[in-house]
This record gives sequence, structure tokens and C-alpha cells, in this order.
Amino acid sequence: MDDVVFWSRLQFGFTITYHYLFPQLTMGLAPLIAAWKWKAMRAGGGPDGERYVTAARFWSIIFAINFVVGVVTGIPMEFQFGTNWANFSAYSGGVIGQTLAMEGMFAFFLESAFVGALVWGDRWLSPRAQFAVAMCVAGGAWLSGYFILVTNAFMQHPAGYETAADGTIHVSDFAAYLLNPWAFVMYAHNMTAALVTGSFVVAAVGAFYALRGIFSEQARLFLTWGVTVGLVSSLVVAYPTGDAQAKQVAKHQEVSLAAMEGRFDSGSMAEVNIIGQPNVAERRIDNPIRLPGALSYLATGSFHGDVRGLGAFPQDQWPTNIELLYYSFHVMVGLGTLFIALMLIAVVQLYRRKLLTNRPLLWVLMLAAPFPYIATTAGWMTAELGRQPWLIYGLYRTVDGASRTVHAGTVLFTLIGCAGLYFLVGVVYLVLVGREIFRGPGPRHHPYAADDEQQADHG
Amino acid sequence: MVETWYILLTFMLAMFILLDGWNIGVGVLHYRLGPTDHERREVIRALGSSWSWNEVWLIAFGGCLFLSFPKAYAAYFSGFYLAFFLLLWCFILRGLAIELGHVIDDRLWRSFWDAMLRFSSVLLALLIGIASGNVVRGLPLDADGWFALPFFTHLGVHGDVGLLDWYTISAGIFTLVTLAAHGAGYAALTASGTVRDRASRIAPRLWVLAVLLLVVMACETIAVRPEFMRAMSTRPLGLLGFLVIAAGVGGLVVGHRGARTGLAFAGGCAAITGVISNGAVGLFPTMLPSTGAGQSRTVFELAATEHNLLVALPWWTLATMLAIGYLVFIVRHQRARHENKFSRSAYPKRL
Repeated sequence: MDDVVFWSRLQFGFTITYHYLFPQLTMGLAPLIAAWKWKAMRAGGGPDGERYVTAARFWSIIFAINFVVGVVTGIPMEFQFGTNWANFSAYSGGVIGQTLAMEGMFAFFLESAFVGALVWGDRWLSPRAQFAVAMCVAGGAWLSGYFILVTNAFMQHPAGYETAADGTIHVSDFAAYLLNPWAFVMYAHNMTAALVTGSFVVAAVGAFYALRGIFSEQARLFLTWGVTVGLVSSLVVAYPTGDAQAKQVAKHQEVSLAAMEGRFDSGSMAEVNIIGQPNVAERRIDNPIRLPGALSYLATGSFHGDVRGLGAFPQDQWPTNIELLYYSFHVMVGLGTLFIALMLIAVVQLYRRKLLTNRPLLWVLMLAAPFPYIATTAGWMTAELGRQPWLIYGLYRTVDGASRTVHAGTVLFTLIGCAGLYFLVGVVYLVLVGREIFRGPGPRHHPYAADDEQQADHG
Repeated sequence: MVETWYILLTFMLAMFILLDGWNIGVGVLHYRLGPTDHERREVIRALGSSWSWNEVWLIAFGGCLFLSFPKAYAAYFSGFYLAFFLLLWCFILRGLAIELGHVIDDRLWRSFWDAMLRFSSVLLALLIGIASGNVVRGLPLDADGWFALPFFTHLGVHGDVGLLDWYTISAGIFTLVTLAAHGAGYAALTASGTVRDRASRIAPRLWVLAVLLLVVMACETIAVRPEFMRAMSTRPLGLLGFLVIAAGVGGLVVGHRGARTGLAFAGGCAAITGVISNGAVGLFPTMLPSTGAGQSRTVFELAATEHNLLVALPWWTLATMLAIGYLVFIVRHQRARHENKFSRSAYPKRL
């Protein structure tokens, strides 16, 4: 296929999806590690504090590996605006360049200065300093997320810009750009989802140890924190943040909403299709299981609210891949619902002190670890596929944005190169993290054996 | 505002080349400085736990180029497409090698990542030099100000040029040697034991070669783009740059003669800074010089709006002060706690 736009989209989509697997755990784990460091600092020593010290140290190592892979896979992203989307960059750099630069200047310097100290600083930092360092790294990660989301929010819902004489756009109202209301909702929803990922992974490791009958004290700590934070975050990611996100899509991106829901006809008492295959050619859903009125209610607050379908819009404004968008959305919402159910059951069992012995539930918690990743990926696909055919909604089309002087063959070369390298990176990541999990937390596995002892070993 | 941002961008690029340059240089000399596996661990340790802070200057530079001269960002990044991806892949391999290369106590694992570190560091140094050479030589711009460079054509500097020609390859080799020298100077300061001794011996020799190559590069540049050198020699800032380079070379000579590694290192930093600064002076105001059908583009044509540049200045200043503050804080904290153990335990041998 001689289509540089297609291959550039595929490359960007692949590299960003792969990259985001790592920051979501970074951003989800960081608050937990900071909280444990705080608990350790408050406990001041003794067995209670020691629990949290051990937990923080164990997860800091996994955090570090995860962070490194997140950084290396993230570097291509900033460059890719210029390499593959040069027309888009020349057009919109005057706006989105600001937040992309701010991310580098504010967040990356903060993270890179302190992440080394977070992981290795046990030895030379006081508990209070360790907590401060953890807060700095967590803050840097969350700040990074904010600047990226402001950039994406602008692409979804442009604000604070003006068009210059040469047709390019620039910031006219910096505050309006930075405080884009779309960004707040998106940020709240996205960061809560990161907490879902972090808490599910922590719970899964706790479940693994509980099933094996090892590291029981840490297993209990991981499970307690994992399912509690997991329940709260699963609820909040759906309501109010997910609801707010859907409502703003309903208000400002009606075509997207219609495509997400597989809605072709317009009217009130709009139904939600719980399941069913979108048949775009014949403009209907095959084998639908519907919930009448639910979509009207969710989108407008009233069962009688009018929700327009795809048929009400010209076809050149339809998202370019309706089927994939539909499924992305349904996968995200379906999993999100299951997450709430799972964590609710787990929290109840925890409260009744039965969680650590409920083997079937522990199995589910352990195997649930990959699913937040699937849900967040599906969520981002919903956002970005829903934005099509626009790069900047209503202003600039995707097909116009690709680099003029780069050919499809060249893009395919770099796509394959990236895929190959990322495969290697993934193997390295799984080996290192898997090794860490199998070795487990605890003083028995102290990463900082005396230097002299190691010197003697390896002379 | 345009000139201000041109200066800020030069500053960021200089910070990257200066700071990450010694990381790259150490990576290039990795095996020379550490013939044994144990010594190579010491080499990595000498980089410190905040080594990646240095690399962020390139990311920050890219982002700020995007905001201040979006068309230049777009033209350069798409024009140097393949070279950029090679650069990115090198950064990925290098990052993994430094952070993860010594966390498993297995000989094969460490050997693999040591090799990756050297490979990616060498390629990084070459690519930075080649890219710089391309910018000075000029790019085959079309009528709309875009370009696309094949890897090589006829290896000549006129007409149908490619990424690689005799001039850009020279620039690449020059950069490789200079960054290696710079890395050796850094290791001579921060490493300990046999690694430091080796670095102290290698640094002077590499610097002699680097200065010789600098003279060669100057001659080549006069042949390839005389107006570039002329601009440097006639502008006050350019003359200041020559003075800084001279002072730097002076510092290198005195420092190496008297075994004063700190002075030598400072001299090396000054020389590198002077070269980069003069590069920026010589280039100004043509940010996209052309060898092709299209006209060269100046900074004024490529800049974002005045409002954009103005509004970014305050936050940029704040961010830079914070960034430097973080590093000063963490480095001093490390040193204070760990005066004689800094080189040993700031970076543990294994997970």
C-alpha cells in the first residue's frame, strides 16, 4: 500500500500504544510508593514501618525498570511529530509546541534528577528525604501526563488559538489553552485509569504470593492496598470521570459518540448497544442486545434527550474506522464494569478476612493484571479513532498532516525497525520484572549487599 | 524575541552536547577505560544516578524548537527522517544499557549490554557530528522549504547531496573524537581507581587529536561554506567565541601538563562551548540553508508569532532554574552523605 498517511498512522499508533503501557504503571504505582514511604516515615522504624519499607523498596525496583522502558520508548514520540507529521507540526507547532516543550522542561528534568535517588537512595537518604524524592518523581510523572493531555485536549477540542496570516495557528490565549476544560476531564479520567492499572498489578502480585503461600505479610499488604485502591479507582474512572468524558464527547463530538455507540439513526430514547456487530454498509447493528433510553440518559441526562446518529452527518465527517472505534469503546466500558464487580467482591472478602484464603478469587485477581492495560489501550483508541478524520477537531484533517518528503517505504522501514527493537525491549522488561517478582520482597533479598562482600566475590 | 529564542535554543543544544556528550564519550571509551568487567561497572557508576538529566536537554531542545520555530522543526525532522530514527534507536539502546546493563549478575547479560552501550554511543557521536555537518553544508530545499536526504549520493558537497559526504563524515569523526576526549576528561574527574588513571592518560592524547581535527574542520568549512566562517570572524560574538575556544585549549594544555584534571576538564568544556556558540553565530540568521532549488530560510521566516515567543519566556526561565536546582540539590545531597563512598554505592552493583 503506497499510502504514507496510513503507515505513519500505524507507526504512531503502535509506538504510542506500546509506550503508554509503561507510563500508566509508573503513574499508578508512584502514588502508592509515595504513600508507603510516608507510612514508613511516620512509623519511624520497628516492624510496622519495616513492612512499608520492604513494600516500597520492592515496588521501587519494578518501578525503576518500568520507568526506564517508559522513558526510552517515549523519546521517539516527541520526535515523531516532526518526522512523520511535518505538515501538522508546521501548522500547529505554534500551539502544541508549547506544552510539548513544557513537558520536557518541567516534568522530564524533575523525574530524571530524582528517579535514581528514588531507587538507590535507601542508603543515603533519610526516610523523610526518601518520601520527598518519591513525591518528586510521582509529581514529575503526573505533570508529564498533564502536559500531554493538554496537547491532546487541544487536538480534540481546540481552544485559545488564533490563525496567523500564513495559515498556521498560534496561541492567542495561553490560559485558555492550558486550562482547556476538555483537558481537566481527560486528565481526571486518565490518571484514575492509571491508578486502576497500578492497583490491579499490586493486587495481582499479592494474589500470586498468597496462592503460593510465600511472603505472606507482604502479600497481605499488597492485596489490602491493591483491592482498596482498585475499587475506589475503578468506581471513579467510571463515575464521575468516565461519565464526564462521555458527556463532553456527546456535547462537542456528536459524530464520535454516534460511531462509538454504533448509532446510525437519530432521535430520543436512544439505546445503548451492549453487544452487537456494527454493519456500516447497511447502517445497522447485527445481533444487538439493547438497553433502551440509556444512551439518551447518559449523554444528555434525560431519557428523552435527542442523540443524533451517523446518518445525520455528512460521510466525510465520519470517523474513518467505525468498527474499530465501536469495539474499542465497548471493550473499555465492558472491562471497566467487570473491574468494579471484581474489586467490590474482593473488598467485601477482605473486610470479612476471607480474601487471603479464597483461592478462586485470588486466581482471578492474579490473572486480572493484564486487563487494565487492555482497557486503557481501548480507551485511548476510542479517543483517537473518535477524533478522526480530524487531527485537530474541526480544523485540520489527518490526511493533510503527514510529512511531504517521506515516502511510505521509508516509514515502513522505520515501523519494522521500531517493532523489532520494541520486541527486544519487551523481552528484557518481562525477564527483569518477572525475575524481581519471583525473587520477591523482603530482607532475604536485599539489593544492597555490602560492597566489600561483593568486591570479594567479583574482585 | 526571535534572537532571544535562537540564543536559548543554542544554550539548550550546548547543554545537551556538553552534558550528555560526556555520557556518550564515556560510552565510546567504555572498553578502553574498563578492560575488565568489574572496571566497566565502575565506569557506569561514574556516570552517576542522574545521568539521564543530561539527555533531557535534547528533548527540551526539540520541544522548544517546535514551539519557537515550528517550520524549522518540521523541515529538519522530516528531512533527516532516517537519521533521526537511527538516533532514537541509539538513545533507546544506550538508555537500556546504562540502566539495566548491570542489574543481572550474569556475564552474558553484562557483555551484551556493554557491547550495546559502545555501539550506540559511537553511532550517537557520529550522527550528531554528521547532522551538524549537514546543517552547515546546506540542505537540498525544495520550493516549499522541505527536503529529503538519502543516506549518500556521490559523497560530494554540491548538487545532489546526501546525508553522508566527505565534509559531513569529517564532522562526524571530529565529533566522535571530541566527545570521547570530553568523556575521558569527565571519567578522570569522577571515576576512581584504575579507571580514573586510564582516563587521565587517554584524555590528553584524545584532546590533541580533537584540536587538530578542529583545525582541519575549520579549513574544510572555509572550502564548503566560506560565508559561514566569514560570519563567525566578523561578528563580535564570533570573535568572543574564538577567544573562548582559545582559553579552553589553553586550559587543556595547562591542565594536562600539570595533571590538573579539573582545569583540563573545564578547558575542554570551554572549547566545546565555544565551537557550538560559533556554529550558532556563523549560521545566523539562516536556519535552513539551501543547496537546492529552494531559497534558504531565515530565522525570521521560520519563527512562531511574537506573542508565542513572549509568552513562553517566563515559564522557560522558571523551568530552567528549577531544573538546575533539582540537579544541584541531588548531587550535593549525594556527595555530602557519601564523601568517600560516592563512587561506590551511589549506584549499586546489582538488583
